[in-house]
Amino acid sequence: MQSRHLRNAVVIGAGICGAATAYFLSRRGVNVRLLDARAPAAEATGAADGAVSVASKRPGPMMNAALLGIRLYRELAEAGLLADLFKTRSTFIVARHDDECAVLEAHAAALSGAGVGAEILSQATARGRFPALAPATRMVVEVRGEGHAIGYRIVHRLIAASGLAVDRHEPVTRLILCERGQRIRAVETAKSRIEADAVIVAAGGGSGALLGLAHVLSPRKGQLLVTERAPSLNAGMPGAIMSGRYLMSKGSQTGPNGKPARGIGLVVDPLTTGQFLIGGTREDGGEAGSNDIDAVARILADAVALVPGLANIRLLRGFAGVRMAVADGLPLIGRLPGLTNGYVVTGFEGDGICLGPVAGQAIAALACGENSALDLTPFDPGRFDGLKVAA
Amino acid sequence: MAEIDVLIVGAGPAGMAAAIEAGKAGLRVVVLEQHQTPGGAIFRQAIADAPAVRIPPRVAAIRHELSAAFAASRIETRYGHVFLGIDSDGFVLAEDRNTGAFVTLKAKSIVLALGAVEKILPRPGWERAGVSTAGGLQVMMKETGRAPAGRVLLAGNGPLLVAVAAQMAALGNPPVAVIEAGDPFRRFAAGVALAAFHQHLAVEAFGYLRELRRHRVEWQRGATLQRIERDGEGLIACVRNSAGEIKFIRADRIGLHDGIRSNEFGLAPANARGPLVVHAGDCREALGAEAAIADGRAAGMRVAAALRGFTHAEPRELTRLRQAEAILSRLFAPVETAHPLAALPDDTVLCRCENRNVGELKALCGGADGLTGREVKHHGRFAMGSCQGRFCADNTAALMAHLRPDLPAPQARDLTGTRWPIRPVPIAALAASGVGQAKEQEI
Repeated sequence: MQSRHLRNAVVIGAGICGAATAYFLSRRGVNVRLLDARAPAAEATGAADGAVSVASKRPGPMMNAALLGIRLYRELAEAGLLADLFKTRSTFIVARHDDECAVLEAHAAALSGAGVGAEILSQATARGRFPALAPATRMVVEVRGEGHAIGYRIVHRLIAASGLAVDRHEPVTRLILCERGQRIRAVETAKSRIEADAVIVAAGGGSGALLGLAHVLSPRKGQLLVTERAPSLNAGMPGAIMSGRYLMSKGSQTGPNGKPARGIGLVVDPLTTGQFLIGGTREDGGEAGSNDIDAVARILADAVALVPGLANIRLLRGFAGVRMAVADGLPLIGRLPGLTNGYVVTGFEGDGICLGPVAGQAIAALACGENSALDLTPFDPGRFDGLKVAA
Repeated sequence: MAEIDVLIVGAGPAGMAAAIEAGKAGLRVVVLEQHQTPGGAIFRQAIADAPAVRIPPRVAAIRHELSAAFAASRIETRYGHVFLGIDSDGFVLAEDRNTGAFVTLKAKSIVLALGAVEKILPRPGWERAGVSTAGGLQVMMKETGRAPAGRVLLAGNGPLLVAVAAQMAALGNPPVAVIEAGDPFRRFAAGVALAAFHQHLAVEAFGYLRELRRHRVEWQRGATLQRIERDGEGLIACVRNSAGEIKFIRADRIGLHDGIRSNEFGLAPANARGPLVVHAGDCREALGAEAAIADGRAAGMRVAAALRGFTHAEPRELTRLRQAEAILSRLFAPVETAHPLAALPDDTVLCRCENRNVGELKALCGGADGLTGREVKHHGRFAMGSCQGRFCADNTAALMAHLRPDLPAPQARDLTGTRWPIRPVPIAALAASGVGQAKEQEI
């Protein structure tokens, strides 16, 4: 799969998007330098819930992308690369209150209409399929054929398979342009200047400063929790639980008194270790920092209401991360406007683990002048005015 | 109830001293302590009517003076409260073991006096049942007034081993031997310095050694515990003595100790927007009880000064005590100069919680891609278990540094991260805490 056009490329950012792009470029025989301001998966990818899921998507470009994202995970698992890292499982969306049932019913219909294997389970079926679930649930929708992957492990595997040594602690300070500003000649770091035939910016929050995107990208903090191992409870959960409220909490929240508010979209994922990953918050703004007791107590109260057995085990740790959200809710994947060899792939908010690999695959194809399965039109960075490379 | 001015976590020497000092300034002080009595590990009190363990007269006097002053200060102390961390809003979190309830407290300033933890170097077999820390055995003796039963071997490095051995002997069950990596008798300069400048430490040490001689306990200096194997119901320790000979010692229990370090695992650095957070005593710098009292006093003065708006000078006493600690570590410097982790066989367990071994760390550190401490944690699960890296983060970081001398040496903190809870906490307590239910509307 040797590319005729591209000999070497610089990828800025070793999160899931950068690592995937580097992997698919390397597979095409391109010489890749993968730079990170800190280290692989040091930001959002390392603090993600790991859902490889279409369950919360509505028909449209994000649902299409998620379906392709899941398909790619399955292919890479079958090919062996991610065999032990992609756990296939269903997502069970659970309504606890009447107001959620109508939303959930419409959502299940929309998923089915789009060809997703989604089914409303009867009470008896739900109890049989999911012994750990609280009896007092109003409606359960099973979304089949999804999965879970730990972001930092996927990144590690992709980098190892690329045979790359990541340039750690190497923040890029600017892009050096040539040909009347239409081409990136090199990237400049504190330590060096690296020439490249193509430059892919996959720097999450760091992309804002490099590309003049600060007005387009906004940080959203998320808090997540991990429990100790509880194998028998874990065995009673054939998949992840997603609270029906999750479907209603995805937008930006405006709180009282001007304070950024937050939503809690509850997800409980049984991990292969026997532990549980419980999340999470969506909070406008903020640094990653750590967890606050208010959020943790609320997440756990919600989790226990859906899976009562969780009350009998211990919380092991909490963590928080900041994901980048784009103003219109769609990620930026594509060629940078006005540049012949510059690309961006960022702004996935909570979908980075699901979409990062398929987006990286699409960017690698684009940089090599090839087509990809993912239609990039809706994600074209050119839809925003004022994109200006920091040169 | 008035707002808490100073919340002190830990009622050991540093916490008690800080509380007394802050109380003198007229501030509202509250102390959280995980046990049911003050004293910390060093001044641990006997449970109920168990007989008290004999301690050196000078230490007893210091303890008595501090305890009396603490009692007289009538500082509000909440016992049975296990500290879980400080959240991103500056709330101090604890579990009340008396009721099982989760406790959230807000204060203007926080003094963390969490003491020290013992360092343990891994050796093949150190994860076996029957192997614990020497300091853990000592605390058990202080609580119960009884020596651990059966044949006990003490091994590792540092003055604590002879202290524990002497206390065991005084309680009627001397250890079968004490294996010491250093050889203080060969460190003349340090010995002279100790006797000249810190006579009381020398006196204390000779007291312990006299007790060991009286009970014919062998203090094997310049010797190392190579590995621990099962021997029926008991253990068999393979020891290399100073002459390089391998000897086998049978024991029912083995107490390991390789020094102490600050108990600051997982604690976030002070946050400019949050309350003033000060670390005190061994939690800041592990120098022992006397230094902890001086440092605790300084911490109490520091928070009082900050809250009351005046300045104060740092104590000079610490310099002298830091020098004493430095002399002790020269005195007990291991005879064997090779890196203590370098020769470990690949199947030696490094992380007991997740059962990860030396070979697995070597494999992660072997490639061209130089992983950070955090990546090693993520991909190797080192420091990811329920002890949160207390036992393995230092050793994993040290072995990483040894394996990759050309890369910046990782720190334990890179592996443990900064997060709460710093110990596992029952979800039931958290979920039932009711915190935040009224604060924000659920979306």
